Amino acid sequence: MKFLKILFSLFSITFLISCSSKYKSKITFMVGGAPNEVAFWDKIIKEFEEQTGIEVEILKQPADTDQRRQSLVIALASKAEDPDVFLMDVIWIAQFSRSNWLEPLNKYLKMSSLSLDIFFKNVVNEVDTYKGKIIALPVYIDGGILYYRKDLLKKFGIQQPPQTWNELINYSLKVQNFMRKKIPNFYGFVWQGAQYEGLICNFLEIASSNNGGVVFNNRKIILDSPQNIKALELLRAFIHHYKISPPNTFTEMKEEETRIYFQKGYALFERNWPYAWILHQKDDSPVKNKIGIAPLPHFKNGKIASTLGGWHIGISRYSDHKEESWKFVEFILSYNIQKKLALNLGWNPGRKDVYEDKELLRTLPHFKKLKHIFNNLIPRPNLPYYPLISETMQRYINASLANKLTPQEALKLAEKEINFMIKRYEE
Amino acid sequence: MKTYYKEDLKTSFIFLLPVFILTLFFIFIPVIATFINSFFKDIIFLNKRFVLFQNYFYLLSDSGFWNSLKFTIIFFIVSVPLEIFLGIIFTLVLNYEIPYKGFIRVCVLLPWAIPAAISARLWELIYNYSYGLANFLLLKIRIINEPINWLETGFSAFVALVIADVWKTTPFVAIILLAGLQAIPKEIYYQAVIDRANFLQRFFKITLPLLKPAIIIALLFRTIDAVRIFDLIYVLTKGGPGGATTSLSLYAYKYYITGDFGYASSISVILFIISFIASIIYLRVGKFRQEVL
Repeated sequence: MKFLKILFSLFSITFLISCSSKYKSKITFMVGGAPNEVAFWDKIIKEFEEQTGIEVEILKQPADTDQRRQSLVIALASKAEDPDVFLMDVIWIAQFSRSNWLEPLNKYLKMSSLSLDIFFKNVVNEVDTYKGKIIALPVYIDGGILYYRKDLLKKFGIQQPPQTWNELINYSLKVQNFMRKKIPNFYGFVWQGAQYEGLICNFLEIASSNNGGVVFNNRKIILDSPQNIKALELLRAFIHHYKISPPNTFTEMKEEETRIYFQKGYALFERNWPYAWILHQKDDSPVKNKIGIAPLPHFKNGKIASTLGGWHIGISRYSDHKEESWKFVEFILSYNIQKKLALNLGWNPGRKDVYEDKELLRTLPHFKKLKHIFNNLIPRPNLPYYPLISETMQRYINASLANKLTPQEALKLAEKEINFMIKRYEE
Repeated sequence: MKTYYKEDLKTSFIFLLPVFILTLFFIFIPVIATFINSFFKDIIFLNKRFVLFQNYFYLLSDSGFWNSLKFTIIFFIVSVPLEIFLGIIFTLVLNYEIPYKGFIRVCVLLPWAIPAAISARLWELIYNYSYGLANFLLLKIRIINEPINWLETGFSAFVALVIADVWKTTPFVAIILLAGLQAIPKEIYYQAVIDRANFLQRFFKITLPLLKPAIIIALLFRTIDAVRIFDLIYVLTKGGPGGATTSLSLYAYKYYITGDFGYASSISVILFIISFIASIIYLRVGKFRQEVL
């Protein structure tokens, strides 16, 4: 009995404490990421609390993307009232919206000063819209870009970064042959070819730059198209035929491996996300001030393409504080906070207008080019079972890069397996 | 069977209660729930529905499942005997009266003390193509002329995984066998020496038979562990290249991630059944009833 009494008094004390809070209401925000990112969210939230009088509780998640997704799925699948607001990786949105977990934002947008025009149109249309309703908004945009060594191109009399893949190959061979005398493991072009999500981003970019890509039509996907085969052939040729990409491309090369390779000065071109810029430009980086960025090259008759990545903000349908949550969304997407996120974390804003900010361009001049590149973003297949599609594609495309399957075989088999799998989910 | 006093039984039951409760909540209920879930089409973005054996029928036609089943079985057939074999050798060496015995034992046991995910990262650094230790050393002593891509083919990735797993878990086998070895009375060996049995005879006629219960226990633990291997592969190859090193648990994980809980559960049930059958076989072979209990 004594134990129960103690328990009871403990409960009442916590209850009293929570009642005496100076805030009117409280929302919960689920977010994860690197330690510096989470620490920065703490700062932003303090600012929001002071401005609006709404208390925000952060539910901290680990840095790992899969784990972040899991903790959100558990909360939403059990219809929990918390979290009210959260960040989503762009590839989760299809599943979350199909599960009916996301609150449509149209009615809030109508009354808000926030207009849809300030966002990248293709992003909002392709991933943030479900059944004609806006269900999320971009906080942080990512897209594949080409990093190049300005100093080396100049040395060989090359005026501008390559526009087509053929140019990239030619420049690579030229520079590589010369550089190898000093640096034996110098390669022309590093990109992400290991069996993981990044491989799909690389593949979709090169396929789209040849007017290809993954088409979803009538409950089936089409992958085995001549454009895609040609794109995969080229990826393979980078490693095995032209040998401008290192032989471990398809076993080990992920974002960080490529970034480190390029940063050490061992490569002429690098495909990576914009996050690498700040790291390449650090004081202890051997390539500091020797690099530039450009859109990724394309096939002769193709177009510029960059795979869309990044994080979007959404409100839970089960939230018990939707109005306050919307205020928080508005705050995060405000010009000031978007600029702060860019300046402090290097996050590329979801808003277009921030890319023109003079103060921002002074510290991060590459933002000007990013805006142009982001106008050519292509989404990954926007389907709730995308992880399975991606995993299967990763396996076959990687096997083809390893020279175990021809590009045509790989894409044909992947298409067959995916369409077999999809039947389970398309009812 | 020995008879116990009623009071004794009662006290022992109270002492065992916490373990029972923990087992119930963290092992028994999840296992049952997984079994039940495997009869449902339980996909987060669709309505949950009872489908009886449909998930299992689907398994039969799923080539990805068969490939990962094959990999899992080959993995434990290769790695477990290697670990037992090396474990026996380690044990025999550790059992000798050598200088710095304590220190050497600690060194040998160290890999087992490192969390699997961390040791996998370690091996990742060793195998790395461009800055890995393995290539660095082999290049330095001029055994190879250019770096080897260790994780390039399905076979070499498999070998790399086996090496990492054997490195990590042989100490575990060794520690169990060492305990078993020290339980063997020294007198038997003295007797054998007097009878002029040589080293090999002593090993095969005394050590091995008397060590059998310990070996069976080590086999049992290692088999269950090897069948459900996840962390090492997740970190080192993520199932690559080209899906060649996808274990069953990694395959189930893939479906959990997609939100297809019913199907993932049915894969987990298969995994459970494999471990269960293996355990029964070992217990039968070991004739545990007479020798240990």
